[in-house]
Amino acid sequence: MAGGASATAPSTYSPSPNQKKKPPLFKDGDLDWVRPDGREFHQCRPAFFRTGAVNAAAGSAYAEFGNTKVIVSVFGPRESKKAMMYSDMGRLNCNVSYTTFATAVRGQVLDQKESSSMLHKALEGAIRLETFPKTTVDVFALVLESGGSDLPVVISCASLALADAGIMLYDLVTAVSVSCLGPNLVIDPISEEESYQDGSLMITCMPSRYEVTQLTITGEWSSARINEAMQLCLDACSKLGKVMRSCLKEAASASEES
Amino acid sequence: MGTPNAVGDWSSEMEVSAFRRLFPLRYYERHLSESIRPDARPLKRARDTIVSLGAVASSDGSALAKIGSTTMLAAIKMEVMTPSVDSPDEGSVAVEFHMPPICSPVVRPGRPAEVAPVTSKQLFDCLLSSGMIDLKELSLIKGKAAWMAYLDIYCLDADGALFDAALLSAVAAFSHLRIPVVSLNDEGRMVMVSKELEGEKLDKEPVDKERRKLSLKSIPFSLTCILHKNYILADPTFEEESIMETFITVVLNSSGQLVSLYKSGGPVLAHTSAIQECVALTRQRMKELEEIIDEAISTMEID
Amino acid sequence: MEIDRADGRNPNQLRPLSCSRGVLNRAHGSASWAQGNTQVLAAVYGPKAGTKKNENPEKASVEVIWKPKTGQIGKQEKEYEMVLKRTLQSICILTIHPNTTTSVIVQVVHDDGALLPCAINASCAALVDAGIPLKHLAVAICCCLADSGLVMLDPTKLEEEKMKAFVYLVLPNSILSVLPEESSSVKGEQMEQGLITSVTHGVMSVDDYLHCLERGRAATSKMSDFLRRNLQPQLSSDSSKAG
Repeated sequence: MAGGASATAPSTYSPSPNQKKKPPLFKDGDLDWVRPDGREFHQCRPAFFRTGAVNAAAGSAYAEFGNTKVIVSVFGPRESKKAMMYSDMGRLNCNVSYTTFATAVRGQVLDQKESSSMLHKALEGAIRLETFPKTTVDVFALVLESGGSDLPVVISCASLALADAGIMLYDLVTAVSVSCLGPNLVIDPISEEESYQDGSLMITCMPSRYEVTQLTITGEWSSARINEAMQLCLDACSKLGKVMRSCLKEAASASEES
Repeated sequence: MGTPNAVGDWSSEMEVSAFRRLFPLRYYERHLSESIRPDARPLKRARDTIVSLGAVASSDGSALAKIGSTTMLAAIKMEVMTPSVDSPDEGSVAVEFHMPPICSPVVRPGRPAEVAPVTSKQLFDCLLSSGMIDLKELSLIKGKAAWMAYLDIYCLDADGALFDAALLSAVAAFSHLRIPVVSLNDEGRMVMVSKELEGEKLDKEPVDKERRKLSLKSIPFSLTCILHKNYILADPTFEEESIMETFITVVLNSSGQLVSLYKSGGPVLAHTSAIQECVALTRQRMKELEEIIDEAISTMEID
Repeated sequence: MEIDRADGRNPNQLRPLSCSRGVLNRAHGSASWAQGNTQVLAAVYGPKAGTKKNENPEKASVEVIWKPKTGQIGKQEKEYEMVLKRTLQSICILTIHPNTTTSVIVQVVHDDGALLPCAINASCAALVDAGIPLKHLAVAICCCLADSGLVMLDPTKLEEEKMKAFVYLVLPNSILSVLPEESSSVKGEQMEQGLITSVTHGVMSVDDYLHCLERGRAATSKMSDFLRRNLQPQLSSDSSKAG
């Protein structure tokens, strides 16, 4: 699975340099943060996607962003739990879990409830729930390895899995996060950067509709920096959307041939 | 094939996929009588099997095993512990088999699969009793420190023969395992020697000079077969397992000894001839799997 | 081939068996089964309406709850539950009461070796006591393999720990006493020769296993006789309950 990454050239979705050229804040000599993996501040990790990773599921996708590796399976639409009341809208059920070896320390508990509800909120707005009344679609994610920006990767991967399962969507959902490290904005942070961050911002959006489904900000931000960070994320999101779209197209043309 | 019965007559008018869903047993028996399975395998052939080592970068040993679409990811993390009083010169192994909700439509979050703890125990028993691992090799300082190998196996895609795939991934992960280098610090406690320092001069002599391998002997390999009427089907898929409910799992180790012969209930009784047949099939399968593992090790060493 | 067993038995000798049925008032069926000092109490409730999710509603389902002598249930007990459930499911006629669940609760009274076989024997007697329709009875036995290759039957806890391997076998109860001989043979091999359940522990050679199987088969005929003798008088006096 991991070997597949080298087969297809990993596509990157880094945002283009800012339209308005700003004078560089730091000269090369006094940069106060060097990214551990040698990336530039606004450079994203190569994104690799593959659909159909799990045969047992109605739809599934595997995503690999550097060391962050995620599998998402979609089941349904299927019968809702018996205790559920009648509903003419479909239901969405999300769950995110981590393997015991996802983090450096074995069995380190990460907040899986929080991630599950974030995933739910991010996807809810993009799914046409009215197309499957009375039933439930289950979206289950497993983080195989946590290498930073786990939640955005899970969300993007989940929307691809939904598309693979043939669930009606308004658009794919793409997610990108930015960390604020001192004076710098760092896109697609790795775990180490996330542990030092002063603040973070994540946008999940539907790139073709230019609509945001979820925006979370933590830490202290000035409104100007929020603007800058949002622009960065939105630009990266629309590029990530293209990467995901091409992955879907590839899968579709491959299945047509066979 | 036009046997004069109700189902036979129906089938001529029905689409194959509908027939398969409505009369799954009939559908299978039609195939079995022609000595072929719906996925084009002969009855006694296992599905294509792939093993790749080192799938999880953050672990000390890991492997991904695929039998057909059944996928298992196994990873080992080593931790230092105090050995038990009964066996002061031995380390230990803990095995956990997980079935996360992504792997199958029957597993739901919060309601873990019943088979998972049972499979964990069976894997542990097989790995330990086969004699593959010499627990003395996991000792660091007698009575003071030894290795605890935490083996976690995740089922990523459940399509039958879960035990076989899990055992294969576990064996492969152990063959990929490199024990980290540790040294004693001033307080007499074990500390990991970080990767950058490996090979450099240290104030304290590390307990091991380099990341060492375990010497694995009599490696266990398994094959699950379905018994149905007089047919024996090797390496069943999920669909086959849900239609025909009698399974025999035979585990042999590479020195030819029987590690486990497990059959729990099922409508078909196993006669001695069937048991012998299953053992013979496992012997054949063991040769295939040994080659697959050797190949995975040699490709890893080239990389 | 002489080996000393602590209790002076010869290798083929079973410990004294005892079985009493209807020991619990509130259960629909119950039995207590003892092999030497190993004793297990089994209670059967049901059939109750409905099956659990993921069970086939077109068939009856069996649920097994294992209660250890002390403490919580661990992986070992979970394995026992699963083996017991599948074994009982294979001897029950599941099509008679579709969409029902029969609960079997197994309470370990004392464990002195061969615990799982003892529990299977107890559950089987309890199912009969509850009048659950069965295809046939089953008998379970533990065979133990010493380093010398000698097979010993029905080991105690101490013997189990000393041995290099042991095998739990479940075989159908001999039906020769009821049916004419020709109906009991299935394609050349006798029905009671077929294996319902096999669980092994420890490494052995394939020949050793087959040897255990052979010895187990021979011994189960004695146990079958015991089980039948034990069930029959009560059946005639209490046919309304067992029917």
